[in-house]
Amino acid sequence: MRIELKKFGTTLISRQAGKEALAAFQSVLARAKSDENLEIDFDGVITFSPSWGDEFLTPLLNQFGDRLVLSPSNNPSVKITVELLEKTQNKKFRQE
Amino acid sequence: MEEKLLTIAEAAEILGVSIDTLRRWDKSGKFVAIRKEGGTHRYYREKDLEIFASDLIKLSNDWVTDGLELPSTFYCINSSIFQARLIKMQDALMREGVPDTIMPLIVAVAGEIGNNSFDHNLGQWPDVPGIFFGYDIGKRQVVLADRGLGILVTLSRVRPKLKNHTEALKVAFTEIVSGRSPEDRGNGLKFVRQVVAENPISLFFRSGDGELRLKKDNNELYITRSQKDTRGCLAIIEF
Repeated sequence: MRIELKKFGTTLISRQAGKEALAAFQSVLARAKSDENLEIDFDGVITFSPSWGDEFLTPLLNQFGDRLVLSPSNNPSVKITVELLEKTQNKKFRQE
Repeated sequence: MEEKLLTIAEAAEILGVSIDTLRRWDKSGKFVAIRKEGGTHRYYREKDLEIFASDLIKLSNDWVTDGLELPSTFYCINSSIFQARLIKMQDALMREGVPDTIMPLIVAVAGEIGNNSFDHNLGQWPDVPGIFFGYDIGKRQVVLADRGLGILVTLSRVRPKLKNHTEALKVAFTEIVSGRSPEDRGNGLKFVRQVVAENPISLFFRSGDGELRLKKDNNELYITRSQKDTRGCLAIIEF
């Protein structure tokens, strides 16, 4: 299953918006098969921040572990956010 | 040709403050009006309005100190207004051709600092809720400020042994705070530090009597104590 983050907005900044995005996504997530990967696509995202990422990506990482796969991104705000989330969680994201 | 003068009502409309506020600023000397010879009515030059509204550091500093009315362009009473204005800044940065290598980082850093103010003070603002948020892309400057509890008070909820503002600043910008319950504190300021350390962006951050400077492309933290103990937080981002 591929998740295009731009569908949640191109400026993904606040904790509150991250929480809302994850809540809205639960019904789609419920349809994921138990062996299916969850691919996160950052294409089209202009600004990404640790607050939004912590509310959206961290719970998915804890729930899906290695089945959560991040697509590559050249966006510097995505790169630094992913690095910081890995440090705070003391876990690595699987990256394509 | 004589320059057209604006009436106090026109000036209030442009700045987004009340007429009473302009009268108060005139009396206190903060923003002095012009009077025609022999007259009592207050007038303003358009140019003076522009100059007044362009001094972001003075405006934010004054607000943190006195808590009086702010020009509405800079006042975000809640986080929804802040998000909308942040996106507007992002559009402006793109329009002005700020490169993709730093543009998203400037927006993310401003977003983390502004959202911190809302996240940590929600329901607990000592008096005036909300933040000051202003930017001047020509001067390559973004300024954020709040009249909230400050870093020491909010961080003490998870680090009760913190002694003073300078220590609180150091922890906020360097240590990963985990096991955050009951305080849902993020690690946004660590992100800010890393961004500044690796990019041509600099930051001045003040909370209480603690002042922190992060210089561009430099991992050092310069923390000092100021003579004055001020309310909330003030951040100046330069790029």
